[in-house]
Amino acid sequence: MESALHLQRITKTFGDKRAVDGMDLVVPRGATYGFIGPSGAGKTTCIRMIMAILFPDSGELSVLGRKSALEAKDRIGYLPEERGVYRRMKVGDFLTYIAQLKGVPADDALPRATELLARTGLVDVEKKKCEELSKGMLHRVEFVAAIINRPELIILDEPFSGLDPVSVKLLKDMVAAEQQRGATILFSTHIMAHAEELCEHVVMIHNGRKVLDEPMAGLRRQYDPRILRVEPLDEATPTSVLRQIPGVSDVKTTPDGWEVHLQAGIEPTMAMQQIAATVPVASIAMARLRLEDVFLRLVAADAQGTETERALRANLQGMSAGALA
Amino acid sequence: MNKIWLIAQRDFLTTISNRGFLFGLFIMPLLIAVGVLFGPRLLSAARSPQVVGRVVVMDPTGHVLPALRSTLSPSAIETRRAEDARRTLADVPEANRAMAESAMQSARGNIPNLTIEERPADATSLASRVATEKQALSSGDLAGRPLALIVIHRDSVDRADQSGELGTYDLYASQSLDAATETVIYESLSEALVQARLAAAKLDQQQVDAMTRVRRPTSTIVTAAGEQRAQRKFMQMLPFLVGVFIFVGVITGGQTLMTSTVEEKSSRVVEVLLAAVSPFQLMAGKLLGQSAVGLLAMAIYLGLGLLALYSFAMFGIIDPMLIVYFLVFFLITYLVFGALMIAIGAAVNQVQEAQSLMGPVMLLLLVPYMLSPMIGAAPNSTLSVVVSFIPPMNTMAMMARMASDSPPPAWQVWLTVVVGFGGACAAIWFAGKVFKVGLLMHGRPPNIATMIRWAREA
Repeated sequence: MESALHLQRITKTFGDKRAVDGMDLVVPRGATYGFIGPSGAGKTTCIRMIMAILFPDSGELSVLGRKSALEAKDRIGYLPEERGVYRRMKVGDFLTYIAQLKGVPADDALPRATELLARTGLVDVEKKKCEELSKGMLHRVEFVAAIINRPELIILDEPFSGLDPVSVKLLKDMVAAEQQRGATILFSTHIMAHAEELCEHVVMIHNGRKVLDEPMAGLRRQYDPRILRVEPLDEATPTSVLRQIPGVSDVKTTPDGWEVHLQAGIEPTMAMQQIAATVPVASIAMARLRLEDVFLRLVAADAQGTETERALRANLQGMSAGALA
Repeated sequence: MNKIWLIAQRDFLTTISNRGFLFGLFIMPLLIAVGVLFGPRLLSAARSPQVVGRVVVMDPTGHVLPALRSTLSPSAIETRRAEDARRTLADVPEANRAMAESAMQSARGNIPNLTIEERPADATSLASRVATEKQALSSGDLAGRPLALIVIHRDSVDRADQSGELGTYDLYASQSLDAATETVIYESLSEALVQARLAAAKLDQQQVDAMTRVRRPTSTIVTAAGEQRAQRKFMQMLPFLVGVFIFVGVITGGQTLMTSTVEEKSSRVVEVLLAAVSPFQLMAGKLLGQSAVGLLAMAIYLGLGLLALYSFAMFGIIDPMLIVYFLVFFLITYLVFGALMIAIGAAVNQVQEAQSLMGPVMLLLLVPYMLSPMIGAAPNSTLSVVVSFIPPMNTMAMMARMASDSPPPAWQVWLTVVVGFGGACAAIWFAGKVFKVGLLMHGRPPNIATMIRWAREA
């Protein structure tokens, strides 16, 4: 089956800055791809080229089997990072207008809008002007506008930025529903936790270059953190007790307890049993794979513990470096 | 095409249902109607009070003053004004002549009531007497001063040298003498001098009047469609009026286009739209929608204008083809300037930033507008012909030529249409390129050179 997206050596330069540098990407139909990297990595430029809003300096791409998204716009749903509405237009009119521009027949447009609005928890807002809605409600309207044409390919650029937790949960449910429907989903984010939750496949991008293109399952195997998080019952217990357990390479103290690093080849369940037998613990669990750690290992392996690493980590966690400091 | 149509439809409906647009659309005809209906009354109410005053006259000839007593009387002034109005308004249809006369009377103000005071004008003491009387014009209280001092030249009735020119008079005015009263004094003195000269030459005034007056008839224009009375004054004004219509229509429509583009860019709705349509479809739709708004506004103004002509019984003086060409040229001009304004709107982040970019565009519109009266007066001059083939000025120039009383040959009109549409295509091509690049650009607004670079590179 043909791929939903196929990019070959795509390059885009603005002045002296190479925003996207030789990007290759294949997204199969029905897959959910996370396009992740810090702000300014080139994600939005790449997406805009896919959407034929910008045009590459070199390279080729195909979208849903067409040479340009211009030939397939009615089959694509796109939620841009910088999005807005006609503030003085009624919500129903705005969605009907966008739906018709995306090829939805006029008679179907309003019923579809009403149904999707209800699914996002917005009932009886069709006759309200967009400017009367809260920011969170507007985000939901914008998401409805992106998927109102029941697209085969959905591209979401930073879909969760600036959203309240309730809206994030609602949108994630909607994305999951679109996955179930069979749509191909590509979404960009600089917050790794969102990608970890939703993606089947991760593409990491840094300074315009692709640095990783892996399925999540493979990533978990390849980048198994081999760390156990242990919360002791008695905080005064010395960490030296744990260091003596066979297979433990290091123990670090964290605000919540200890991080126990295991040697290669050690079975985590065995190590957990031995730790529980050695010291009384309130809880013990395997650390989950964190994409930000993977990313930092790939792009800032030489910068561990430096300001550069801290700034990148802050960016990937969705915080400013200042806030982190 | 369907998407362009949808965008055009939304832009059209949004604009025409806007209260600001409706207000702007009807305020101009409303102001004209108010001016026509209440203007004469306002003029009448604003008329300055009747001038009452003294005029000191020194007449060494002894022949002018008796005549002046008659010609400066209120009844003589009124008779002169009535005759003047009749001549001026000869071209105005009879149905409207009474109204026009009343407007003219109102504009001229009240008839002054002037009393003549004679002073001796002996040759020996004339200079010193004149000096004394001149002093009186500026001394004492304002109410007590004479309004003017008239000193008739000794040779103003009889020439000392038969081959030379007849003399005239000197007029010294106080600060209280207004321009309208001075004109009345001038007209009365002219008439009095002529009467005195004719009497001195023993000629009969009525006979001379009858022999020297040739009344200018209103010419009749003969066309294949028939004959009609020429309305020279109206036809002289028409090129300028057409220029005003195109200028105002294009400026207001272009401004709307630019503002709506800036709003779409700054509210970030533009990328949502670009998810569904191409940049060119978006631009073309907006341009088409606003052009329809402009044509609607022009059609309404034209309708009201024709209604006004009909009510003034002047309906037949405009060639219907002129209206068709007006709409065609308006559309071409609108497409050119609308496209440029959209490009500017896409390039900037705020309306205020657009001012520096709009300067050169406004100049392109102002030049033909300012030239239109000149082109209308000399429609077949080299300047008029050349300008009518240079886009984007050609449409307004050709319209001014066509509205004049000496319209150009048909091939020139068609050439202007072709060149005009060519210019519109070039403007739309340029705007499309700038629109595509500028829409997603934020930060420092570009200058004209940068916009041209965008167009080359996009």
